[in-house]
Amino acid sequence: MHRGLHGRGALFDTDPPGLALRLVGLRPYQLRSSPYEHPKELPFVVFAGGRGLGKSAVLRELRDAYRGHTPVALIDGEERQFAGPPAERPAESWSPVGQALTTIAEQLAEPVTGAGRIGFPRLTSGLLAVAAGGWSDRDVPRIRQEAERILLLNETGSWLSGFAGRWVSKVVSKLIASLSGTGPVIAPIIEATLEAFAEGIGPAPRRLRRAATWYRDYPNAGGNPKLGLILLSSHFRAGGDSRTHAERYLVRALLADLDDAYAGVMQRSHRLGRPVVLIDNVQERAGLGLMEPVLRDRADGIADHVVFFAALRGYTHGALRNASRRTLPEVARHTGWEPGTSPSSRALLVALPPLTPDDTLHLVGGVSQGLAVPPQLPHATHRLSGGSPLGVTLLAESARQNLPQGAKSLGELLTSDVAVHEDNDGRPTYQELLDRLVPGGRLDELTVLAAAHDRDSACVLAEVQLSDDFGASGVLALEERLTEEGWTSAAGQFVGDPFLRALLLLRLHHDDPDHARWRSVHRTLIDHYGDGDQPDSARYRLHHELALGKPDLAVAHLRDTFPRTDTGSWLSSLVFIASAPYYHAHDPDGRDFGGHGGHDDRAAVALGRTDAAQQPPDSVDAVLHLRVRRLLHAVWQLTDPLVLPDPKVSDRLRFELEQLSNLRPAGNPLLWRASREWPSDALAGHPLRIPGDDDDNANGDL
Amino acid sequence: MARLWTWLREDVWEIRFRRYVALTLAAVLAGLGVWGGMTATKENRSCAPGVVQPKGSDECVGVSWTTYAFGRAQFADTVRAIHRENARLAPGSYVTVALLEPFTATDADNLADVLHELQGAYLAQYQANHDTTGLKPKIRLVLANPGSTGTYWQHTVDQLAGMTGGSDRLRAVTGVGLSTDNNKKAVKELTSRGIPVIGSSITADDLANGQNGKDPFPGLAPVSPTNTDEARALASFAKVSAANAFLVYDRTGDPYTRTLQASFEKMLTGSRYEAQPFTPPADRSKEGSTSNVFMQITNILCNTPTTTNTILFAGRHTQLRQFINMLGQRGCHDRRFTVLTGDEGSYLAGDKDLDPAALKDPLLTVRYTSLAHPDAWLKDTAKTGGSAADAKVLQSLLGSAGKEPVGPLGPIALDDGQLIIAYDAMRLAVRGIRGASPTGRIPALADVGLQWPQVKGKELRVNGASGWICLDAHGNPYDKAVPIVQLTPESRARFVKIAWPEGKPPATACLPPA
Repeated sequence: MHRGLHGRGALFDTDPPGLALRLVGLRPYQLRSSPYEHPKELPFVVFAGGRGLGKSAVLRELRDAYRGHTPVALIDGEERQFAGPPAERPAESWSPVGQALTTIAEQLAEPVTGAGRIGFPRLTSGLLAVAAGGWSDRDVPRIRQEAERILLLNETGSWLSGFAGRWVSKVVSKLIASLSGTGPVIAPIIEATLEAFAEGIGPAPRRLRRAATWYRDYPNAGGNPKLGLILLSSHFRAGGDSRTHAERYLVRALLADLDDAYAGVMQRSHRLGRPVVLIDNVQERAGLGLMEPVLRDRADGIADHVVFFAALRGYTHGALRNASRRTLPEVARHTGWEPGTSPSSRALLVALPPLTPDDTLHLVGGVSQGLAVPPQLPHATHRLSGGSPLGVTLLAESARQNLPQGAKSLGELLTSDVAVHEDNDGRPTYQELLDRLVPGGRLDELTVLAAAHDRDSACVLAEVQLSDDFGASGVLALEERLTEEGWTSAAGQFVGDPFLRALLLLRLHHDDPDHARWRSVHRTLIDHYGDGDQPDSARYRLHHELALGKPDLAVAHLRDTFPRTDTGSWLSSLVFIASAPYYHAHDPDGRDFGGHGGHDDRAAVALGRTDAAQQPPDSVDAVLHLRVRRLLHAVWQLTDPLVLPDPKVSDRLRFELEQLSNLRPAGNPLLWRASREWPSDALAGHPLRIPGDDDDNANGDL
Repeated sequence: MARLWTWLREDVWEIRFRRYVALTLAAVLAGLGVWGGMTATKENRSCAPGVVQPKGSDECVGVSWTTYAFGRAQFADTVRAIHRENARLAPGSYVTVALLEPFTATDADNLADVLHELQGAYLAQYQANHDTTGLKPKIRLVLANPGSTGTYWQHTVDQLAGMTGGSDRLRAVTGVGLSTDNNKKAVKELTSRGIPVIGSSITADDLANGQNGKDPFPGLAPVSPTNTDEARALASFAKVSAANAFLVYDRTGDPYTRTLQASFEKMLTGSRYEAQPFTPPADRSKEGSTSNVFMQITNILCNTPTTTNTILFAGRHTQLRQFINMLGQRGCHDRRFTVLTGDEGSYLAGDKDLDPAALKDPLLTVRYTSLAHPDAWLKDTAKTGGSAADAKVLQSLLGSAGKEPVGPLGPIALDDGQLIIAYDAMRLAVRGIRGASPTGRIPALADVGLQWPQVKGKELRVNGASGWICLDAHGNPYDKAVPIVQLTPESRARFVKIAWPEGKPPATACLPPA
């Protein structure tokens, strides 16, 4: 039985034990304990990766895998509730961390198999003290509402749940009664709270009394819990570093309450494993405000036994400077993590890898069961998306919905509508993808800049194509944002990630019905590279010419340079030029039109079916001209991520390369090896590598 | 199934608290199962504390100290009274005396017999414990049942032997009942284990000491005269001569019939007629086909000369009744016959199966020796060997036995003498026990049986309700009063006269001659 996510076995496996099982001590989806990998000190696991790599999906799956078996909480730093205080609540008594702690405690409190609710008396009193900073006797209903929510964290349910409810309303009335007409609010509230706890009539009275004295260790409290809470409240209100200090204490209170729930023989005999806290978008304020105190406390020797899994957008963060770095496959058996001295060394940064071709195959097969999936489609999907889980998932969904409607190529799957939810109207798949990969504005600008190859060309595009206020600074800002969000950079492309670039270019093409913007963008770039004196400017220019559907210049260039250029760079020029997007014109309704009947004629050209109609220039070697032309179209077709590679074209590619190798005795071995490797690589969806140039251009030049 | 297994594996086993609870529950269930299984497979053979059903029998045998009445409703009152008296005793202040009787007897005769023994023994216990002089130790009475025919004597004797120690401190066994082979074995075993036995109604000569100068039952002291003594007393009373007497005897016999037969034969030496045997069923309380034999014997009797008017009967009471019934229908109904027999005749009184015609036959007289009779000392003129005053002690005790604190004891009947003789046997036991410990301490077991040879003389004899009990050196009663009674047409035992084995009452000193 396969449950969970594809390609995340290193995390979810039970045999051999995956990372989650080794840290939590419980098998995912099962209530069975297993040995810990880090019995004493735990790493704070941070999943790193760009958008669409499935970090949120991993966290959701972790929650589902452990829900009901061990206390588990999931928050997302980007949720709206952490963005700002609710209406009417003063900002001085509210912070994202406080809100996050409340949310987390509410989720952790849920009963699990074998054990009842967890009470959070320490956190309750701390949060009440903080909230009291924003109370006055004028808005009693709000106070009642806030106090009730906080006090309910203390409810341990069990048989006395009705009793606990009465206890909460009793304490709330007591708190409200303690508000004097004008005087200070905080001290009486704290006093009333501690009194209610010390009375020992609430749920689990002994626990409450013990918890009531916890704040006497607050710095400068002098052993007086009431003074400790007053200091905490004033620190919180002061803001800045003082607030950070207070928040750290609140986080510690949560962890102390959790530890309390696991302390003692009776408690331990009811509970298995460790509690799990999941923090999505940990780079946001709410997430950082939780992570940093935990890391600092752990570095200071204040241990806790909570398993933290966080998700970080991008691969680096200032708070994680010294974190150990691994990829997910590396931690499949053991993490090899050793805590250092600095707080950030307590974190373990685990980069999520993209899906493998096999994962893609399984995922597509799983989604589109019962459909006749073209055999090349899974591999082509993987080639296009680079294994992005989001891309593969949406494409597979699109395939499920659109294959029966007659869609054949990946391009068609991208432009076809996909309904993400049953009740939604469909939207074009590429738009759906872009909304998720590039949320938060500047999509239009990025769409234009996707055609650029570097900062210079991007600035030129911005100057010509975009509004004046965007300018070079906008380009730099976008470039930085791409890096921050974890998008890979690649030489020769402004948008390094091939999948994102393909989607953006598709959007650029479909921007307006007559593709005027598409053409003008490419023209701008042709002009930019036309007068440049860079050695590579020719290939950039021809790349864009080709994108505009004009292969003749490229053919001429390749034909003329073939005899005298180094074979390796010639092949790399060929591949680069042929990586031009192929978007033929179509009418506003999406129907193809144009000189060639609108159909993709690259295969026809590559197979030589149009050779008869060709008139090579007189002065040139007609055979070579036609051969280069066929070769260019073959590579163009085979490396186009939006269409399925044609096996006949790949055969032809082999033949053409063999023939070429006969013409160039010096470059013979390279051409020969290319003739062996390229056809199979193309069919398998792998990028075409320049023989003898093993690593560098593998990704970049496509 | 798989889901149940997963549930057990994950939701129960993994959570330690639940695991321990489940294991405890499982252990308890398994224990209950094993216990239930064992209880189901094992028959509960216990009837009451100390009382069990032996394998292959539905009889409840053993020693009872509770209110269990062996399933016989007629015992219930007396057993409750005994239990009440026992419960009154302070721990450590008492010794135990067991009453060995066939409590599970099935026929009415034996049951009545046992009831009377029970009542007599209890009255003596009550009297001993409520003695105004406060003599010690106190007496606790328990009931020992070897089975209706004594088949399980071994079991009961083993149990009794186990009670000599501990808090029970068994010091004597009284009763014993009839002189049967099983009872003889039981007495043999008890005495060989050093437990004193006081026989109330055993009369067989070979169930006594002093046979040919040997003491095969050390510590045995019968209260009743032996068959020989009875026969001697009978002979001295009836002036039986060999010329006019005719002997009918039990061919297989038991110790009682055999010794009675031997005593009778000694008197009939040189008789004109051969003695007539009969063969009863193995269980002599069963009817069997012995009546046919008696019909023929009756026929033979009619053929004897008219001078033959005395029939000596050496047999048990069922056969005696059959014989009398046949005699009642004899062809020669103009002939006068007197049937003389031993103390088994006491069962005839009140026997419903006795033919009324035979009872009312004026020419047929049945006389027998009784072990005791309530009228004996009230009507007889003998000055020694017993006294009316001694008999009245029991009478007054009986007078208060109808209600608490003494009773109730159920219906009282004294005619058969069993109550009186059991009372005397218990008194002898108390004498032995207290004689062995003049200071009132608990006497040693061995010392009790050593007291019997000294029970004699003016001070040391027991002045029983049935007469003086003076024991000779072997522990046998010397010249014990033998009441001769006659069966009346109303089926009652009418006292005739006290007869004496020695021909005359003993002297006041009551010392057996050398």
